[in-house]
Parts: sequence; structure tokens; C-alpha cells
Amino acid sequence: MDKLFDTFLLMLDGSEITLEIFVVTLVLALPLGMLAALGRLSKLKAMSRLVEFYIWLMRGTPLMLQLLFVYFALPMIGIRLPDIAAALLAFTLNYAAYFAEIFRAGIQSIPKGQYEAARTLGMSYPQTMRRIILPQVFRMVLPPVSNETINLVKDTSLVYILAMNDLLRVARTIVQREFDMMPFLIAAIFYLAMTFVLTWGFKKLEAHYGKYDN
Amino acid sequence: MANTTTKEEIMLRMHDIHKSFGDLEVLKGIDIEVRRGEVLAIIGPSGSGKSTLLRCVNKLETINSGSIEIKGEFLAVTNEDGQAEYVDAKKGRSLLASTGMVFQQFNLFPHMTVIENLIEAPMQVKGLKRAEIEPYAQELLAKVGLSDRADYYPSQLSGGQQQRVAIARALCMKPDILLFDEPTSALDPELTGEVLKTMRELAKEHMTMVVVTHEMAFAREASSHVIFMADGMIVEQGEPEAFFAAPKEERTRAFLQNML
Repeated sequence: MDKLFDTFLLMLDGSEITLEIFVVTLVLALPLGMLAALGRLSKLKAMSRLVEFYIWLMRGTPLMLQLLFVYFALPMIGIRLPDIAAALLAFTLNYAAYFAEIFRAGIQSIPKGQYEAARTLGMSYPQTMRRIILPQVFRMVLPPVSNETINLVKDTSLVYILAMNDLLRVARTIVQREFDMMPFLIAAIFYLAMTFVLTWGFKKLEAHYGKYDN
Repeated sequence: MANTTTKEEIMLRMHDIHKSFGDLEVLKGIDIEVRRGEVLAIIGPSGSGKSTLLRCVNKLETINSGSIEIKGEFLAVTNEDGQAEYVDAKKGRSLLASTGMVFQQFNLFPHMTVIENLIEAPMQVKGLKRAEIEPYAQELLAKVGLSDRADYYPSQLSGGQQQRVAIARALCMKPDILLFDEPTSALDPELTGEVLKTMRELAKEHMTMVVVTHEMAFAREASSHVIFMADGMIVEQGEPEAFFAAPKEERTRAFLQNML
């Protein structure tokens, strides 16, 4: 029983890294994704193309490869980041690209009439975006954002290859040392618990912002 | 009805308006003039350019050449090269502040309640406090018969109710000219009546209105001037009585016959 408790504590420790990567990535990638979406929709062709390229690059290569690149390749050209920062950089750039596409689709799904109505009422473009368009986009993108967020919880386990002691690596270490499969089970429960909380939270958000579409 | 005692001030004047979408010329030299308190009805078959003309008034579409004057001030003029030039954005916004628009598809803000739809622009654009504009918004809702719907969302209202909210929303910015782009075309027939009734009341109060419509009864009874457009040109125009009683052009007669 004591052993199980120790295992549990060790893994709780490991989940700290997991949670840190999850939270920081989300906090950075959401606004960055919004900026990228606006850039992608920009009338400036160069800007739009540049963002398109970035999105293609990030979505077109494995996240694991991006992690390895930031972690091992950047130091070769003299850019040396602390472990956690390297992981966060790769995660943020990757997830921002996915969020950008979700936001872009959301923005484009708002009927032209909404812009025209705001314009004929004298509202400026920033006012229109902030007050009329983005609140509707926010509601519309909740389900796909929820999806990506849950993916992120599980993707954090990719830092395993960077030898960072996240939840999965801690579990694996204990399994190897003790010849006991229990840590894998516990890890699964940890991931499920996080996913459960997220699912519940997004459901609440959807209900709250869905009150206007009957 | 538009009465002759109102001031003769010209609210809107458009001269020799040309507008093309690519190779397709949709407006081929249109002239209109609307005085304070007048209701101009623009009728015509679909594709005649009437909605485009209306959308040119408030710059939702830009003209290729011609001039647009709102309350005596130019929004756009044609330069020596024959190209339309608009005044700078700031001046343009201040001129267009005297116009309001009601759309075929209502275009209410779905994430806001009825009252929020009304007060949003006055608060954002004019910087009014909620308490300063809400009484007026309530007054407008009463006027369109929707006082009891202030806290509803647009999706909870019928099409006719939504369109009346849209009219109240436009009025809340206190425009001098109200533009209607086929305001009843998206409505079930039994719901057009309530919207037309609201528009008739506005006409009686000498609101200056430009109405693109398929409702011949409204054009006949509530307008002060009727324009019939086809193929990007004005075919015929006149006082509604004479226009509907004895249209001169064959094209007009054929159109009116089809509508009745």
C-alpha cells in the first residue's frame, strides 16, 4: 500500500511538467493562433502568404520532429534554450498553427451581412471585430478548440523523447524498475482525469455562450 | 404621405452613377434626388441594379464614376480622368452617419439581445453611456411594437419581429435618411404586413426614406416618388398616383402587370 502511495506521489510530481506544458502552451498558442488567423486573412498578400507557409510547415511535419529540431538542431546553430523552454517553443508554434486554422474558418463563417450591418451603424473595423465578429467566432470555435485542447493533453507526452520527467516518463521509469504495470494504469487515470475536467469545462462554456442560438 | 410643407432641403443627390462588376455594367448613368421627408420607392425586376444603387448610397459598393451628395456635401465626385473619388475616410464616416440601413436578411447581431442590438452602436460609436441611450432604445422598441421583447435574442423572434428590431436599431443612431434593401423579401407573406406598417408610420412622420421593394402596394400608397429601373437604367419615374395609374413605358406596363 505504501509502495502504491509512493508511486502515486512520484507520478503527481511528473504530472507537474505535463500540466506546465499544457497550460503554458494553451495560454501562448491561443492568442498567437488568433494573430496568425488575422494575418492569414490580411489583405496584405505577403503577410497572408507568410502565415500560410508557417501553418503549412507546422501542420505538415510531425510535432515530434519539431521538438527534436528545437531541442537538438537549434543548439548546433548556437541557439541554446533550457529544456522546458525548447519544449514550450515547439508546442506553442505547432498548436498556434492549428488554432489559426480553426479561428480562420470561424471568422470566415460569419456572414458578410454582420460586417455590413456594423458598418452602416458607423462602427469601425476594430470595433466590429471586437464586439460583433469575434464573440460569434468564439462561440463557433469552442467545439474544435475543445478537441485540440484535449489532443494537447495527450501530446504533452511527446516530451518523453527529450528525457523530461513528465507523467509518462515517470510511469515508464517506475514500470522498468519495479516490474509493475500499475504506473501505466495510474498514468491513464491521470490523463483521463485531465481530459474529464476539460470536457466538462468546455461543455459549460458551450452552454453559456450557446444561450442565443435556439 | 410626404407632404409639401416639409423643408425642401435635398438630403441625397446622386448624379450620373456608373458602376461595373468586372465587365458587367450594372448601373449605366443613374440620377436620383431625395428631399427631406420624401419616400423614394425603387422598383424593378431582379438584376435591374436597384439594390446595387442603394448600396452605393452608403458606400457598401463604390461607384466607378458619378457623384454622390449627402445633405449638400459630396461623398464622391468624378475627377478629370472620369474616375470617382471619395472624400477621406473620416469625412466619409461623418457623412454616412446620417444614413441608416435595413437589410433584406435583417443582419441582427445574434449574440446580443434585442436591446443590446439597439444600444451597441450608440455606445461604441457615439460613446454614450447605457443609461443615456437605453430610454430612447426602449421608446423605439415601443414604437415598433416590441417593448416586451427587449431581452429576447434574435433567434427567439419571428422574421417580422426581427426586421422591426432592425428598423429600431437603425433608428437608434438617429439617421436623417433610412435606406431599405428589400426589407420584406425574406419574410413569409403573413409577416410582411407588420413590417410595412412600421415603414408606413415612419413615412407619415416624414422620415426620409429610400426603399428598394417588390411591394407595389407600399410603393403606391406610402411613397412620394417612384422609380422603375431595368438593366441598370431608370426606365420611368413619377408621382405614385400617376405612375401606377398610367405608366407610359411598355417595359413598365409589362413589369407592373406581372407584379399584380
